[in-house]
Amino acid sequence: MNSIKTDIVVLGAGPGGYAAAFYAADKGKKVVLVEQEKRLGGVCLNRGCIPSKALLHAAKLITEAEESGFRGIHFPKPRIDLNEMRLWKNSILEKLGGGIADLARRRNVEVLTGRGYFENSTTLRVETEDGQKYVSYDKAIIAVGSKAAMPAAFDLGNPRIMTSTEALEIEEIPKTMLVVGGGYIGMELGTVYATLGSEVVVVEAFDHILAGADLDLARPVARRAEKLFKEIRVSTKVTKMATVGKRIKVNMELNGEKKEEQYDRVLVSVGRLPNCGDLGLENTKVQQDEKGYIKVNDRQQTDDPSICAIGDVAGGVLLAHKATKEGRIAVEVITGELSAFEDIIIPAVVFTDPELAWCGLTEAEARQKGVAVEVVKFPWSASGRALSFDRTDGMTKLIIDPGTERILGVGIVGAGAGELIGEGVVAIEMGATAQDLAESVHPHPTLSETLSECAEAFYGTATHSFSKKKSPAGE
Amino acid sequence: MDVRLPRLGEGADSGVISTLFVKLGDTLKKDQPILELESEKAVASIPSPSAGTVTKIFVKEGDEIKVGALIVSLAESGNGESPVVQPASAAPPVIDARVGDEEEAAIDVAPPPAPGPVAPLSADFPVAHPAGVPPPASPSIRKIARELGLDLHRVRGSEHGGRIVMADLRAYAQKIQEVALSARAGAPAAGQGLAARPAPVSVDFSKWGPVSVKKMSQLRKAISAKMSESWAAVPRVTQFDEADITDLMALRKKHAGAYEQKGGHLTLTTFALKAVVAMLKKYPDFNASIDEGAGTVVLKQYYHIGIAVDTEQGLIVPVLRDADKKSMLELAVGVNELAERTRERKVSLDEMQGGTFTISNQGGIGGGHFTPVVNTPEVAILGIGRGVVKPVVKDGKIVPRTMLPITLSYDHRVVDGASAARFVTDLVKLLEGFKESDVAL
Repeated sequence: MNSIKTDIVVLGAGPGGYAAAFYAADKGKKVVLVEQEKRLGGVCLNRGCIPSKALLHAAKLITEAEESGFRGIHFPKPRIDLNEMRLWKNSILEKLGGGIADLARRRNVEVLTGRGYFENSTTLRVETEDGQKYVSYDKAIIAVGSKAAMPAAFDLGNPRIMTSTEALEIEEIPKTMLVVGGGYIGMELGTVYATLGSEVVVVEAFDHILAGADLDLARPVARRAEKLFKEIRVSTKVTKMATVGKRIKVNMELNGEKKEEQYDRVLVSVGRLPNCGDLGLENTKVQQDEKGYIKVNDRQQTDDPSICAIGDVAGGVLLAHKATKEGRIAVEVITGELSAFEDIIIPAVVFTDPELAWCGLTEAEARQKGVAVEVVKFPWSASGRALSFDRTDGMTKLIIDPGTERILGVGIVGAGAGELIGEGVVAIEMGATAQDLAESVHPHPTLSETLSECAEAFYGTATHSFSKKKSPAGE
Repeated sequence: MDVRLPRLGEGADSGVISTLFVKLGDTLKKDQPILELESEKAVASIPSPSAGTVTKIFVKEGDEIKVGALIVSLAESGNGESPVVQPASAAPPVIDARVGDEEEAAIDVAPPPAPGPVAPLSADFPVAHPAGVPPPASPSIRKIARELGLDLHRVRGSEHGGRIVMADLRAYAQKIQEVALSARAGAPAAGQGLAARPAPVSVDFSKWGPVSVKKMSQLRKAISAKMSESWAAVPRVTQFDEADITDLMALRKKHAGAYEQKGGHLTLTTFALKAVVAMLKKYPDFNASIDEGAGTVVLKQYYHIGIAVDTEQGLIVPVLRDADKKSMLELAVGVNELAERTRERKVSLDEMQGGTFTISNQGGIGGGHFTPVVNTPEVAILGIGRGVVKPVVKDGKIVPRTMLPITLSYDHRVVDGASAARFVTDLVKLLEGFKESDVAL
């Protein structure tokens, strides 16, 4: 029998799994990394973060060219070759996937390509091309991720009804497209298709798009999207879909009013589901919650003492960088450190146009939890850098504890917000105060100045905006 | 008065409402922000020109409004010019009363000041971190604290904003060590536990007259150890009250037969159980335990209620599990069955563990108020005496009512007097408010 003995087996080579595998190897453990796909990297690299960002970059080029006429730069209408675009996108994924494989090799992490199945709490069976292999391990880390949800009512087996996975393959530019779900995936991919020329309608069941973000931060995104998209319809539920020739007939309901429309393509982006099926979890002591996510404690341990779980499959926010952090915590716990996922700031970034990013406490959360906070905002109309490229539709916002002046949350909307939010994360994690941020010199002219000016605005002394000075405490 | 959007300043005559801070019925102080307006130039908050109550709101978040637009209507509560807002008169009377009670109760139950030598026992700095927010410290400091088993909530940060740095952690660790050493070196002060007592000495009582001697049963020894441990460890305070159970007794009488037919005694304990579980849900601190090792308070999300049962051999406290998930009938049957098995000494050790709160009902025997000992590691115990008909003033007349003596002993380390007063007051209300529909089968 083909049996491999190892200290740690990691099931799933996404950003959680490979980070855990590499970290464990760096700490001197013998590690086997099991992945059913040939290319490592998981959803993030193959069908998520990376390809969508590549396509959004392409969309940005088109938009900027289109909008440059008033600067005296006139481009003809672009000619788009989807085959070339797809090849370019895939070449990025190949480079990244190859890079991960190379890093695994250099660390002596053994990569097994095939589906993993738990025979019991300490044995994983892997179906590889060269037949079954059995991995007997001390500890396993489950990092199998999640997949796009496709509700049964929409699942007609019609390839024109897509999830993000298919949409990222850009088979064609449909004339009309419906996006079901105004969360970050729907808004990002809607942006790609609308920019490439589709007439896009977004429907959202909730009463506003981009749930989770503060409304004032989501508003500039909604405003621009309303121009780019044919329509954004909130408080709307899609009830039924049916195939009509080469089109999709969609029934929806808004405020009790029924609507029937036809679209060339539909993108369903209504959430994601954990990949827990057919893993043999029933042969272990691992427990799942009612939604199917694997139950873990704050040390990423499951109910089975030999098995940890991290990333999407362990629930919480489904974000690559959360999976990576959890992977590192799982490895530290396994190697005897007292690490725990406790008070850790997980930033969120939505790569719409403009971008939207936040970390720590949001204003809505503070209100909901009854935490007394002071909110300061700095509009990008006062940023010279934003003016220099005509994108003043941004805002930087700090959520501050009025007693200690400590920064509890940071929210940014505007071009490149995703690149700016990291500073917010460091500030909150370090327990920085508004004064710390205000007194750290930020380079001019950059958008990062909006953070320090926002902190100055807390004291009523921001250079580029004018607000009433804070009255001294005690008055 | 109607509040309109004031002039915003140079060149700005409109803006979008990014945040609306008020809702209908809110009481505003003068200059309290009503909304935040985002204009081309700036983000500005619009203050209330006067103190008052919001009676109408004309705008919502996301609206674009122009200078002069109607925002809200205010019913003015006082002189808007007055620079001082007197919170006492502005606050609704209900709140006023409660604040009063709290202060009074807090004074009532405040423990006497600790004697000199005991003072350094406290290793805690007075630290006030805002609730719902982790202590301010960098990830590396948090990691070290976790490795050392130090709770950062107890560590005072010396940096701006209360930020905790390595020096603070070091100072805290040193302080803990000093406290630990001085506690060991010090005289057997209060709170030292059994271990610190001198070895027991036998006394010959027959010197003074005839005596008979009986052996202490294992149960008696267990009770003795348990009570001493609780007495030594728990700074116990007992809260007294009375509940008018005239109506409750009528309900009990009316329905007791129906319960009896289904194998349950409908007793005061049944009612008390129902009411206590509701109180524990409302005041989770009473359904808690201290984890001294971790320096935390563990709030339990299950409701296993200990029932003090008087057996021939002595006190036994079996535990009724998941009392929150049981109907009145199930509680009545459950207590009945548990008490019977306890008297027959047929309850297992398991059944006496895991309690979250205890009820001791002496009503069946008699007696008024008493001060039960907290059944550690629980933090509170309810003592019920015998209901007695007493002359009570009700609606200006003296009427005979059955009054039930109620006492709540609690661990002052976890629970404060004000909370106990609230708990007992609400409990009395619940006991007095049982309705036919709560009891009828």
